[in-house]
Amino acid sequence: MKRILIVDDAATMRMYYRSILEGAGYQVDEAINGIEAMEKSLQEFFDLYIVDVNMPKQDGYSFLSELRSRDISQNPAMMISTEASANDRMRALVSGANLYLVKPIKPDQLLTNCRLLLGEVHE
Amino acid sequence: MNPLLEQFISESRESLQGIGEKLMQLEKEPESSELMTELFRFVHTLKGNSGLFDLPELTRVLHAGEDLMDAVRNGEVAYSPLLADRLLDAMDFVGLLCDEIDTNGSTDAKHVNNSVRLADSLRQLIVVIVPTTEGASSAVVNELPIVPEQPDPANQLPLSDIPEEISMAAYRAAVTGKPLHWLAYSPVEECFFQGDDPFYQARQTPGILWGDITARTPWPKLAELDPYCCVLDFSILSTATLEELQEYYRYVPDQVRIIPVPGSFLILPQGEPNGGPVYEDFVADALKMLHANNIAGLTHATRSMLDVSNPNLWLSAALRWLLLVIELEPDNVFVCERILLSLRTMTPPVWHELAGGCDTRINGDVNSELPHNLAQEESEPVPAMLSPEVTALIAAQREILSLPDDIAWLAGRLKSVAASLSGCLHAIGANGIIQSLGAALDEALAQRASAPLLHWLDSHFKPSVDAAPFLPQSVQPATTTQIGQSVEEVKYGRRAEDSYSGPKSIKVDQVKIDRLMNLIGEMVVAKNALPYLAGRAENVFGVRDLSREIKSQYAVINRIAEEMQDTIMQVRMMPVSFVFQRFPRLVRDTSHKLGKEVNLILEGEETEADKNIIESLGDPLVHIVRNSLDHGVEMPDVRRALGKPATGTIFIRATQEADRVVIEIRDDGKGIDPEIIKRLALEKGIIDNERLERLTDQEAVNLVFAAGFSTASVISDLSGRGVGMDVVRTAIEKVNGTLQLESEKGRGTRIRLSLPLSMAVTNVMIVESNNQLFGVPIGSVVETVRIPRADIHTIKKNQATVLRGRIVPLKPLNSLLGQHVPPRANEEDELAVLIVSLGDESVGIMVDNFRETVEIILKPMTGVLAGLSAYAGSALLGDGSVLMVLDIKEIL
Repeated sequence: MKRILIVDDAATMRMYYRSILEGAGYQVDEAINGIEAMEKSLQEFFDLYIVDVNMPKQDGYSFLSELRSRDISQNPAMMISTEASANDRMRALVSGANLYLVKPIKPDQLLTNCRLLLGEVHE
Repeated sequence: MNPLLEQFISESRESLQGIGEKLMQLEKEPESSELMTELFRFVHTLKGNSGLFDLPELTRVLHAGEDLMDAVRNGEVAYSPLLADRLLDAMDFVGLLCDEIDTNGSTDAKHVNNSVRLADSLRQLIVVIVPTTEGASSAVVNELPIVPEQPDPANQLPLSDIPEEISMAAYRAAVTGKPLHWLAYSPVEECFFQGDDPFYQARQTPGILWGDITARTPWPKLAELDPYCCVLDFSILSTATLEELQEYYRYVPDQVRIIPVPGSFLILPQGEPNGGPVYEDFVADALKMLHANNIAGLTHATRSMLDVSNPNLWLSAALRWLLLVIELEPDNVFVCERILLSLRTMTPPVWHELAGGCDTRINGDVNSELPHNLAQEESEPVPAMLSPEVTALIAAQREILSLPDDIAWLAGRLKSVAASLSGCLHAIGANGIIQSLGAALDEALAQRASAPLLHWLDSHFKPSVDAAPFLPQSVQPATTTQIGQSVEEVKYGRRAEDSYSGPKSIKVDQVKIDRLMNLIGEMVVAKNALPYLAGRAENVFGVRDLSREIKSQYAVINRIAEEMQDTIMQVRMMPVSFVFQRFPRLVRDTSHKLGKEVNLILEGEETEADKNIIESLGDPLVHIVRNSLDHGVEMPDVRRALGKPATGTIFIRATQEADRVVIEIRDDGKGIDPEIIKRLALEKGIIDNERLERLTDQEAVNLVFAAGFSTASVISDLSGRGVGMDVVRTAIEKVNGTLQLESEKGRGTRIRLSLPLSMAVTNVMIVESNNQLFGVPIGSVVETVRIPRADIHTIKKNQATVLRGRIVPLKPLNSLLGQHVPPRANEEDELAVLIVSLGDESVGIMVDNFRETVEIILKPMTGVLAGLSAYAGSALLGDGSVLMVLDIKEIL
């Protein structure tokens, strides 16, 4: 079963993603900020990361660049933000995200992108 | 309600509270950027969450709040009390909506106006200082009539909308080899919330020659207009290439249609069709000259014709076009011929039906009508039609690979890009090229550069369309997911269970705790049945050994049950901060309203008590604090005149004393004048003259707790609601609390509330009345006495006795409960009397007999029984019978 780590400080968002992803048969873990996400990444393997931008303690950008530069995981990461500007997008891609999506994310959109990044054949 | 919504509501409440607290703190240190950031985060999170649900009112207000806080955080807008006021207002509104969602599961549409007003009031604050950036969304709507509109499509596209000069310029550009594109940009309605600025976006379109804005639907009335909903369609004529346009609109590809326009399509003369001479001869002559390739003659004839015609005529327009075509493309006989022929019918040539001769790109036009631009080109080994998601994903990887290579985590980036692309290719069934992707990654890693991957991407996916590289299976963890997984597993040994570091506390629904509380209550009662059982074993069945064993087992169960009860009580404990937290806001708002300056000091917020106690404390405390604000603390100038600091102080402190929570509320206001109280009490008939004279000052001050007493000379909307401090007293006494008031005229007032830590267990005394058992809360029992019948006197039909020199009125419980049976006396002809306190007085209740006192879990009366005010509740006794507990105040 593919494992996905959700990194978001908002419990509602985590619950939202989790319900969609678990419904699609993924195994989901959560972290409330970059620091916790890093701890989990060191201990466990995730096939995909879904990362929020704005979080207390450590934000999504620095989490991703740390993840990449320390070679902890090079698996696909999806960054989800409320900001649609080109700058924010660029920053996300530079820091190590493979996909930048702007909220609100519809369940279909989330699942389609997860399946693509995880290489699952969609009916 | 679905759990997600529930979670949203509960998180929202926390955020709202956080916002309130941060704003309060900001008032004290308005420069703190840390507070500002936290505040922003709260609003941001709230808004982000609200986007999951269809709650436009909520999102609108939060979005405005977020923009405002963002501006504040970035120093574009200064923090001000006005800002705090408006934000608090807005958050109150959000709280209101949350409550409504909590109860109804949705919000009422009637809030639309409020939400618009609040969002506007927030946005105003931004616009004033940064007029250009934020608030642009609403501005777009106001500015839209910049370009006039005259819809009436000629061909497929309303090209005739384009003014002649612009058409001509476009034509000129097309002839000189520039591409011409018609852009239909339909922003989605909620685009403003996605950070789009369609007006700006459209205006900045590369190579824009002309643009038009139309409303999708007729404009609603101004009052019903939702300015945050984009209903505009943009039409743009541009000379940019398809690639440039696609690049420019890459974030909204699904909202844009790009249609190539052949230059000749623009030759659409416009003008007054009637009147004016139509010279058949001219047309015939001109055609002849054209076919004879006599361009100079044709030009001359056309000029002459134009000179004698009114320039506003359709005819003149056609002639002007003709001249232009002759000038630019003298060889294009076909077009000139068509224009000339059209002079006979006075209708523009239908260029797209005349396809063959005029422009090779006509087919392109038809084609691009169908797919929504971006992804239609085919690439060889990859499926022809890629979904927008795939396209976007590949575009993102291309973008990443195009970034500068000078970062520390380049290898990580390359691997992750390859992993993403590999997943994507696999998902779309393009497995054939995965291998070459792996090779490209290897090469890229070897070169420490993105180029090989980018090259691979470009060769498999046309640039500007989509694309992506792949992953070499050989490269370590990041390659295909399965491989990576097994490697990692070996490396780290998945020990998720051991290492789970989840939150240390959990949120539990209140209902579950209450249920637990009820269960333990029943357990305590059930446990109490064991001694009965032991008694029966011994007395009825004569088995003493069994009786002893039951008793020892009872001791064990008793200990566990008590511990369990204690633990559950602990769970129910809440800090008083739950109640205190509302005071900073209350004091702030109220003192502003009254024009007073008040400093609030809170202490001992961490003191804990049972949830019920804490909750019952809320209203009385609010009432007391309001009273202090309203009647206690004087206006600043009065205070100065009295030599006090202009700013008054209200001090609230919670402490735990033994098994009680004590809450002290102190102010340094004007205090209570006992003389005024006495006079008012007399006027209102609460006391009589005789009593007035005996009253000490302290007793007089306590009269404010008497029912129907209110000292406010003017009823204000703050505290003088016609209910006085008696309400406070009643509420406190209801949870077995007591209350003391001390006041010194001119110096201030001090109120002390003392409450039990928990009211889960109640001690009651069991009494007998007409062969029934009733419970009386032990708190109201002063003493129990047996009074010889001879000592009972009848005074004016009322019975009374003298107890230690004081007259105590006596009431038979039987008659209080509507049973007409006289109280039973014992063998010595003594009557059992329960002396209870009723305010300051004592009353004797005559019962048949006293029984033991027991600890019970008092359950309030529910259902139809809730109307029986004579009972405070019921409880189960050890033998399984139900004990009704009397509410002494009610029955007397």
